[in-house]
Amino acid sequence: MEQWTRREDRRLLTGQGRYVADIAVPDCLDAVFVRSGVGHGTLRAVDCTAARAVPGVVGAWSAADLSELPAVPYTLLARLSNEESVAGREWPALVKDRVRYAGEAVAVVLGEDRYRAEDGAAEVFCHVDPLPAMVTPSAAADDSVRLFDGLSNIAFRGEAGKPVEESVWREAAAVVEGRYRQQLLMPTPMECRTILAVPEGDRLTVWSGHQMPHRLRRELAALLGWSVDRVRVVVPDTGGAFGSKSATFPEFVVVAFLAVKLGRPVRWIEDRLESMLVATRGRGQDQRVRLAADADGRLLGYELTIEADVGAYPHLGVGLPMQTAWLATGPYTTPQAYATVRSVLTNTMLTYPYRGAGRPEATIALERAMDVMARRLGLDPAELRRRNFIPPESFPYRTPTGRCYDSGNYAAALDLALETLEYDGWRAEQARRRTDPGALPLGIGLSCYVERSGGEAGGLHEFGSVEVGEDGTVTARCGAAPSGQGHETVFAALVAGTLGVAEERVRLVEGDTDEQPEGLGSFASRSAQVVGALLQHVSRRLIDEARERAARLWELPVDEVQWSGGIVHAAEDGSAAIGVADLVKVTGPLRVEDRFESGMAFPFGSHAVVAEVDPELGTVRLLRVVTVDDCGVVLNPTIVRGQAFGSAVQGIGQALYEGMTYDDQGVPVLASGLLDYLLPTFTEVPPIEVKDTCTPSPATPLGAKGAGESGCIGTPAAIVNAVADALRIADPDLLQMPLTPDVVWRAARAPKHEEEVR
Amino acid sequence: MKITLTVNGEAYPLDVEPRRILADVLREDCRLTGTHLGCEHGICGACTVLVDGEAVRSCLMFAVQCDGSSVRTVEGLAGPDGEPHPLQRAFSAEHALQCGFCTPGFLMVAAGALEADPAIGDSPERVDGLVGSNICRCTGYEPIRRAILRAAREQTEGERDGGNR
Repeated sequence: MEQWTRREDRRLLTGQGRYVADIAVPDCLDAVFVRSGVGHGTLRAVDCTAARAVPGVVGAWSAADLSELPAVPYTLLARLSNEESVAGREWPALVKDRVRYAGEAVAVVLGEDRYRAEDGAAEVFCHVDPLPAMVTPSAAADDSVRLFDGLSNIAFRGEAGKPVEESVWREAAAVVEGRYRQQLLMPTPMECRTILAVPEGDRLTVWSGHQMPHRLRRELAALLGWSVDRVRVVVPDTGGAFGSKSATFPEFVVVAFLAVKLGRPVRWIEDRLESMLVATRGRGQDQRVRLAADADGRLLGYELTIEADVGAYPHLGVGLPMQTAWLATGPYTTPQAYATVRSVLTNTMLTYPYRGAGRPEATIALERAMDVMARRLGLDPAELRRRNFIPPESFPYRTPTGRCYDSGNYAAALDLALETLEYDGWRAEQARRRTDPGALPLGIGLSCYVERSGGEAGGLHEFGSVEVGEDGTVTARCGAAPSGQGHETVFAALVAGTLGVAEERVRLVEGDTDEQPEGLGSFASRSAQVVGALLQHVSRRLIDEARERAARLWELPVDEVQWSGGIVHAAEDGSAAIGVADLVKVTGPLRVEDRFESGMAFPFGSHAVVAEVDPELGTVRLLRVVTVDDCGVVLNPTIVRGQAFGSAVQGIGQALYEGMTYDDQGVPVLASGLLDYLLPTFTEVPPIEVKDTCTPSPATPLGAKGAGESGCIGTPAAIVNAVADALRIADPDLLQMPLTPDVVWRAARAPKHEEEVR
Repeated sequence: MKITLTVNGEAYPLDVEPRRILADVLREDCRLTGTHLGCEHGICGACTVLVDGEAVRSCLMFAVQCDGSSVRTVEGLAGPDGEPHPLQRAFSAEHALQCGFCTPGFLMVAAGALEADPAIGDSPERVDGLVGSNICRCTGYEPIRRAILRAAREQTEGERDGGNR
């Protein structure tokens, strides 16, 4: 094993990994969906007759053919949705009468293989009368065209904090305003969504690349009208998720329903073109901010107004923008703050968590405003931030928008970022270039963030167990479900370390609801923080249980019995000793299972970017990117650094390249497929230096906070700030992400702000 | 249509529809599921395999085009005794994979290039070009670049050592 960095590596590097599409089940049918070509319209007719005559097609159905087909469930988890928002707004798994997003499924065809199912899908007749498509919140908010007859397109309103008093704005030395667009992004895990449903007797086994197997089990069982023990969900190797694989999607409802109806295995392996139409989106906010400070740069008030594009149905993410509102004030002490959310339904696919999930939006709004404020006051942007950081001795710190931060040392992270970047040197270079007419302008951008990890109240716990076999092997089970984070390596090491036994003795089992009856899953950067704490807890309880058994065996008080490296022995003279395997043989199976709850944690960091802009071409070249993240105690530095680096590259994607655009019919403008959606490739990766500080979290016994979303949260604002700094434009609102050459070229021609004294 | 694919040195006599893409035939007819489909339209490179030594996107090629050709997939990278390929060891050592879905494609792109020119490690810009040809969403690519360079250098050093002996 020593030649592999992670346990997962051997199988994943030799082609022995097993993803859902790799699983061969006899008589399995492939599902292909017939999808609407317009984003909004009235469904007039669907006719599957011709499809059913295609050789190899086993069946084809529209909603009218499947009157029993359940609707798509909504989620109350983490207040992502709520009863009021979904009331009267059913999300049918197949369109019944109204198409509300491009690609919404109007029929399903099952074939003996994918080719035959696609042959059948091509023969389905479908007629949709188009309605005007509302593709932006501003277009949809006035209700001139309603997605649901008789109901407003505004599906949710929320607020955090209290309105800032008028006197604050009136009396402040400086008030800056901004409008920022958080464009819609495609999470784009390399493996699209997958589900394979296999009926066996009165049970259904569901294989899916998924972050929350127990949720999927619960929701599928509910819509089948079954008890949960009749459904087993197994998550095999999963090709990335980034937040986008934790729901029960319409296609999942159809596949599970048909597998049960036909008594035959059915699978849906989403292809990329489908995913680009109908996988959930991330971000999607139009923001207005107002920030007030006194003459010394001390923040006085902050107001954030969010108009959120939540897509066609409120079921999955109508309340997601509250994550932004609750974190509005970031790492700063702000006496008064008020954030409001208005979630608007539009004719686009749903918005749902994507790596960062509400925190990038909070950070970008505030950090861009901070740079504008620094310029207004003639302060160095680093100095402005330093003057406002919540001091390390102020934790736990309750923010005006309702969060309670666990721990932090924000200045330490900023100092390390500036030192690593060689901030002063780059400022000197910037000044030099400003006097050199032949030099390309250069900018330095900072971004300091606080995020939240672990989950929301009511979802901060996890279930699991540790068991020792008669051969001395240790099996740990938990409700997590990884999609590339190396749990088998990290958690086996954690359990082995707690028990003091060799790592090779420990095996992790997760992602199987028959193995682990209860669980929450892997989301909100919670696995190390919450699941790690659980596994440490059950391991310690296992030690206690072993000591108690040995004490009974030896008729000793338990405090005279010690555990050391998998051996129980009498503390006094050491004469009595028994290996845990022998203890199991003598006293019976040794297994401890429990539920364990952690607190919320608040990772933080500072990112710094040097960017060079070519005003003639509109291109942005990142000369240096420095990320300093603090996720408390790190369980495996290699894995955390790897995630920080990859996350930073996704952050670069949001800042410079990625974004969904829709045409007038609400159809994504992606004529050349994935080639038109500009994911960063290696060519776009600048030199990135990943560093960390360590401020343990008191909210969990391990001291670990969530890792892995940092780059998506911290990097984009640093990049945009660097470009704004390079161009010195008077109106920074001109720089809306992604900063494509077109955007930058236009901004470079806009009026400059007045030169101020630094 | 009856064809014979030689995959990783083994002959697979097959009867396939002409429209079936090579990736599907490898995965379903040959049951070699290490080749993954990430986009099915030639952008991401996850499905890259070697056909007669050349890296190809197996989603853009029909299996019948490979009749009589020699195909190499990730399952054929390790030595006959199961000894990992230097690239496989290097990818692990550099933590050049997380979810592992794109990994077989990167491995095969690199394997083809390394075999065509064992000295590729001396031209870092060519390695950059290899890494830039596929998409990965987890690692940020830099570890993949380091892994390919590491394997390339290990290979040339191994050969130099071998030559000296």
